[in-house]
Amino acid sequence: MAATVLDAAPDLGALYARAALTAWGRGGDLPATRPARTGVAVDRPHLAAYARVCRLPLADVLPATYPHVLAFPLQMALMADRAFPLALPGLVHVRNTVEVLAPFGADAPLDLEVWAERLAAHRSGATVDLCASVSAGGAEVWRSRSTYLARGARAPEGAPASDVEVPVGDLPRAVATWRVPADAGRRYARVSGDVNPIHLGRLPARAFGFPRAIAHGTWTAARVLGALAGRLPDAFVYDVAFRRPLLLPSTVRLATSPAGGGWDVAVRDVRGGEHLAGTVRPR
Amino acid sequence: MSPTQPRRAAVLGGNRIPFARSNSAYAQASNQDMLTATLDGLVARFGLQGRQVGEVVAGAVLKHARDFNLTRESVLGSRLSAATPAYDVQQACGTGLEATVLVANKIALGQIESGIAGGVDTTSDAPLAVGDDLRRALIALNNAKTLGQRLKALGRIRPGSLVPEIPRNAEPRTGLAMGEHQAITAREWGIGREEQDELTVRSHRNLAAAYERGFLDDLVTPYLGLTRDQNLRPDTTVEKLARLKPVFGTDDPAATMTAGNSTPLSDGASAVLLSSDEWAAEHGLPVLAHLVDAQTAAVDYVHGGEGLLMAPAYAVPVLLARNGLTLQDFDFYEIHEAFASTVLATLKAWEDPAFCKERLGLDAPLGPIDRSKLNVNGSSLAAGHPFAATGGRIVASLAKQLHEAGPGRRGLISVCAAGGQGVVAILES
Repeated sequence: MAATVLDAAPDLGALYARAALTAWGRGGDLPATRPARTGVAVDRPHLAAYARVCRLPLADVLPATYPHVLAFPLQMALMADRAFPLALPGLVHVRNTVEVLAPFGADAPLDLEVWAERLAAHRSGATVDLCASVSAGGAEVWRSRSTYLARGARAPEGAPASDVEVPVGDLPRAVATWRVPADAGRRYARVSGDVNPIHLGRLPARAFGFPRAIAHGTWTAARVLGALAGRLPDAFVYDVAFRRPLLLPSTVRLATSPAGGGWDVAVRDVRGGEHLAGTVRPR
Repeated sequence: MSPTQPRRAAVLGGNRIPFARSNSAYAQASNQDMLTATLDGLVARFGLQGRQVGEVVAGAVLKHARDFNLTRESVLGSRLSAATPAYDVQQACGTGLEATVLVANKIALGQIESGIAGGVDTTSDAPLAVGDDLRRALIALNNAKTLGQRLKALGRIRPGSLVPEIPRNAEPRTGLAMGEHQAITAREWGIGREEQDELTVRSHRNLAAAYERGFLDDLVTPYLGLTRDQNLRPDTTVEKLARLKPVFGTDDPAATMTAGNSTPLSDGASAVLLSSDEWAAEHGLPVLAHLVDAQTAAVDYVHGGEGLLMAPAYAVPVLLARNGLTLQDFDFYEIHEAFASTVLATLKAWEDPAFCKERLGLDAPLGPIDRSKLNVNGSSLAAGHPFAATGGRIVASLAKQLHEAGPGRRGLISVCAAGGQGVVAILES
């Protein structure tokens, strides 16, 4: 199906409200709509704010995780729509794969397109992949696949099995300790627009069964890339599995190990419980 | 080589980001962001990805306390090998040139084969400090063991002490801004408004021409949307500059220094790659020039009656004498334009028999220079002056200019600095 081109990024707060109000009675197949935006200019002050929150260097090449915050509102529009078979509240981001096909800068206007695919059966529910493709000057430069789990939901008959694991090698050495403050979710929400209540405070998080607010997986993933600044290939695949939620505030440890021309990475709590496991591989 | 025979360090090239005006294009960038981007640009230009160089030496004048290891942290975030050692230096506006001299000296002594010298400064992302009263109260609070001690510490905090201390471009011992100091010097040397504005126009035109002929193509890498120095006004004229009101020394009705003929506060970074001739040959990199010699000097601008920015006038004759040269033995002169009147006062001092005899102890004045050889590719009035980044800008640009002119050409660099200091150096192709 052809892309549906939007003039501006949708308002995420309104989308959450709509999705929450229309959460019940959803089902059926994935919609074939492909929300898109063309000629999106990178707002440099926004990029700078994002870089600061994620501890990324402010450079002219876009951080590999940044296009996600441009594409995410379109993916939200897709998921909030009544035609989307899974209820948005309670969806958990379990895996994220980003491919940088070529390094690209903040100067070129970007074309974004998103879609949903692979409604799949998971042992505790169903998963769906929200995909995004970003082009600059007509050539695809970046793509991503975000896998969300809906606990208790059921994939249709004949659906494939979910693929949410990212195998990583042994990572015996913690290389950095991060003290993640209580407001990390609110700070990232301000730059990403992802105002999912589970990230914003203890009370809203409790309503969804978390004892405290949890960090955005995409923030953790971005901060890992920040720690690898200067040590990344030009074109690469960054694949992460979000395991345990990172409760805020927390002290966590980053483990890295060179592997396959890139890196294996993990973010763990002080007792070794894994929040994130991932790989960076040249492509 | 044996460690007892010094050799001349080679300048292979440089990289800088365009200089931005304060609180503009780089307002969100930290010193570390800019220095890292500049190093990465140099790495890309010279194929140094994952390579180790002998040492990286750089610094910033306005520096956050957390940036104590600014250069090493920038190296770690860059594409250089993480096994590259680095350290910070700070000599006010002389930082970049002093860093170059330090790297060159280690190369000369055979202690390293290659190195990068640089500097960075931001006047936008400047460090704010809490006032001294608040700082002492907070330290007392932190050390307090009893509730009574805590309350006593808290009681010392007054609303007025919550105002942060903003770094000022002023001399701590005199309380005068650098421009106010320079206004005194300009008056003493009778430097006129028109000659300052003429020098300013030449700086803008020369830098604009350098951009036009592509001279800066392999010296500058765009950053955050900026491709040229933001302060550059190619179409400025003496008539336009004449309309500006004086901003320094305005207690004198004949004040001459304006925002046009003074450098603006700016943000930016620069880096220079130096090496031994052997290292350059091994890596297939042409040598642009060699650093022949360098000299620093300082003057007593507080009680001694000398101008704050006059130290280079003292450093140059020492350097000339040691190298058996006269002031006229140069093909190019790079005199840092802190203010147009700084350059003019320095040149006038070298022509003045009384100054040369009484202050410099010379039998004869150094004499005039051929002005057509001065700052031929523009200088700080046009490019801007992110304090520590200026030395690297000048070294890379002069080395390239000397290389273009052919072998055996000589250039003199003179940089004045806060605290009454000066750093000068000779490059030769």
